[in-house]
Amino acid sequence: MSATAKLVPVQTAYDDLLHRSLSKISCDLARLIYLASTRDYNTGTYHHDGLAARFRPDVAGKALEIAHRQVFYRLAAFSLEELVEQLRIYLDCSHESASDVLRTWQKLEPYRIAIPLEVNPAITRLFLSNVRLALAIWRWRQEQAPKNP
Amino acid sequence: MIGIPTALLLGTIMLLLLLLLAARGATAAGELSPRSDVPLLDDETWVDLCPPEYVVRIFSPEDCEFVSTSKSPQLEKLFRRERKLVALAWVHQTSTALRRIMREHTEATRQSHDLHFATETKLVLVYAELMFLCAMLFLAIQTAGPQRVRGLAVYADTLSQRLARAQQDLKTITAGREFHSASS
Repeated sequence: MSATAKLVPVQTAYDDLLHRSLSKISCDLARLIYLASTRDYNTGTYHHDGLAARFRPDVAGKALEIAHRQVFYRLAAFSLEELVEQLRIYLDCSHESASDVLRTWQKLEPYRIAIPLEVNPAITRLFLSNVRLALAIWRWRQEQAPKNP
Repeated sequence: MIGIPTALLLGTIMLLLLLLLAARGATAAGELSPRSDVPLLDDETWVDLCPPEYVVRIFSPEDCEFVSTSKSPQLEKLFRRERKLVALAWVHQTSTALRRIMREHTEATRQSHDLHFATETKLVLVYAELMFLCAMLFLAIQTAGPQRVRGLAVYADTLSQRLARAQQDLKTITAGREFHSASS
């Protein structure tokens, strides 16, 4: 099969993923977490039953991988203020208590495993550092809230 | 006008200074490794330069201004520490990528039959300037912080991208010639 013939279904699968799944997710941070959750911890390959049924599993996997990388690069380019806002939307949409989520994220740093494979190391450092800072800002805001009602 | 002995002395001092800065940079990179998220890149075979838009982001004063609106000394301290580590990691990655580019360039020139002395000299000088800039940036980031050296970092990045592009062009030309000679 030629490279072009292979690329077309991946593009179609990617568009499908974008319109059916990703557009319904509230923010890029949540999209990143969602896409990372479709990746197998052991093999690094991506799985999505619905997408694999409409296309082929390898095509679905490739579309998920591309989407994951794109969302990651977009988030890493955000300013700290924009990332803090992303975190706010993520916390608002989560059904858990914001302070519990913040505490767990600061302790376990689950966002570290949300990073795609083979991305630029400096960008990875920038992203991880910015998430750490955004969490610290949120935590600080929460501590300040009772003092400034 | 200065005499030859003075020029030689100045040259030696400059070289020693360069070596000292490079050694200081390597030490700083070593110190950086255990404190940071991602292992430093000692495997030079695949390391790429960081895209310019992220370099601008690392050294941008915008985030610093945003954090300072909180008026929290702890947050400001955390921001300075975090951003300094990211900036130092970027310098380390850039110098590693530059070494890889120059190694590739040396290999490519060995196979090339029509080398231009002036172009090659210029490339070596640009490489030396960049390595010097990386060493300077290592020191400056640690002493003054990333936001104060933004101009220098952006300049070093632009020059690095230009060097990478020149090497890529040479690679394409060499590959084209090999293809042409193989098919004829």
